[in-house]
Amino acid sequence: MTVVAVEAWVEAPLRRFVEDARTVLALLLHPSGQVVAQSGFARAIDVMSACALAAAIHASAGELGRQLEGRPFRGLHHAGRDRQLYLAEAPTARGPFLVLTVFDQESSLGLVRMYFDEFSRNLAAAAPPPPRNAEPVLAQQFEQDLNKNLATLFRRG
Amino acid sequence: MSLVNYATREITCKIVYYGPGRSGKTTNLHYIYGQVPDDRKGKMVSLATQTDRTLFFDFLPLDLGTISGFTTKFQLYTVPGQVYYQTTRKLVLQGADGVVFVADSQARQLEENIESFQDLHANLAEQGIDARAVPLVIQYNKQDLPKDLILTTAELNDALNFRGVPEFGADALHGPGVFETLRSISELVLKRLSSPAK
Repeated sequence: MTVVAVEAWVEAPLRRFVEDARTVLALLLHPSGQVVAQSGFARAIDVMSACALAAAIHASAGELGRQLEGRPFRGLHHAGRDRQLYLAEAPTARGPFLVLTVFDQESSLGLVRMYFDEFSRNLAAAAPPPPRNAEPVLAQQFEQDLNKNLATLFRRG
Repeated sequence: MSLVNYATREITCKIVYYGPGRSGKTTNLHYIYGQVPDDRKGKMVSLATQTDRTLFFDFLPLDLGTISGFTTKFQLYTVPGQVYYQTTRKLVLQGADGVVFVADSQARQLEENIESFQDLHANLAEQGIDARAVPLVIQYNKQDLPKDLILTTAELNDALNFRGVPEFGADALHGPGVFETLRSISELVLKRLSSPAK
């Protein structure tokens, strides 16, 4: 199954997890809701909605845990009729990442959890240290592109 | 934290529309959603109560097009404005690259605006973020209401805009000011990507 990753170092651990755990869909994201890698999604835009919702579920479960038990709940499972989802956090030197996994009868919660633990270790091992001084990404004169694109977006071009 | 994919040359930024209840944050997103062509936007996701008040957030993914050779995507979020949704506001604010503060221009809402603005600064500070370093734009919404009900942008500036950030009068229901606000916050957020990290 194809894995599309924003950061190259997450690709190998996620591909291995997807293959071993036999997931239908997998999303690796930042707790802020930004997608880092995905497997199985057909449209990029659906990935963004899924990320926003997954980050929200994770954040609320964490906060509920903090209020109820003094520490965040980690790991969430929902069982649907045909598909199930498992959402959990993987800590790395680059900060925590969330993984949303969707699986069907080809896999099971036990299998997904077992391979998630392995994935979490692999991801932590693969994580490079955070960059110290990032170079500028955009050219100094980006405003012209921005104005043109926003005008098109709002049909003012 | 803007995400930059050098391999596919993509940038993704998170913008949060913040402000008191009923100030027009969701209306801003609805207007943007209605204006933008289908191929440049994703599904708008709204987690709202039965009475259509925002419960958790609204979410709208936008494709801004190519800027300096990078495909640039913005994720617009709103927070619930009502005071009792403090916890969810904090959660949505996590990882924001820029904030649009939507104030209600009605004179009777001034205290709510100030309280919400203080709440924004407190929540940023709680996340270890220096509020002065976060790209911020203020929108004074509902400027279309009768003059005797609203404060002028100058009066609202005196009360809220002590940082001297870009500010725009707006009528989010019908559009004036919405585009200008989005343009301004986009520019501030992207400017951070065009200068060396400190």
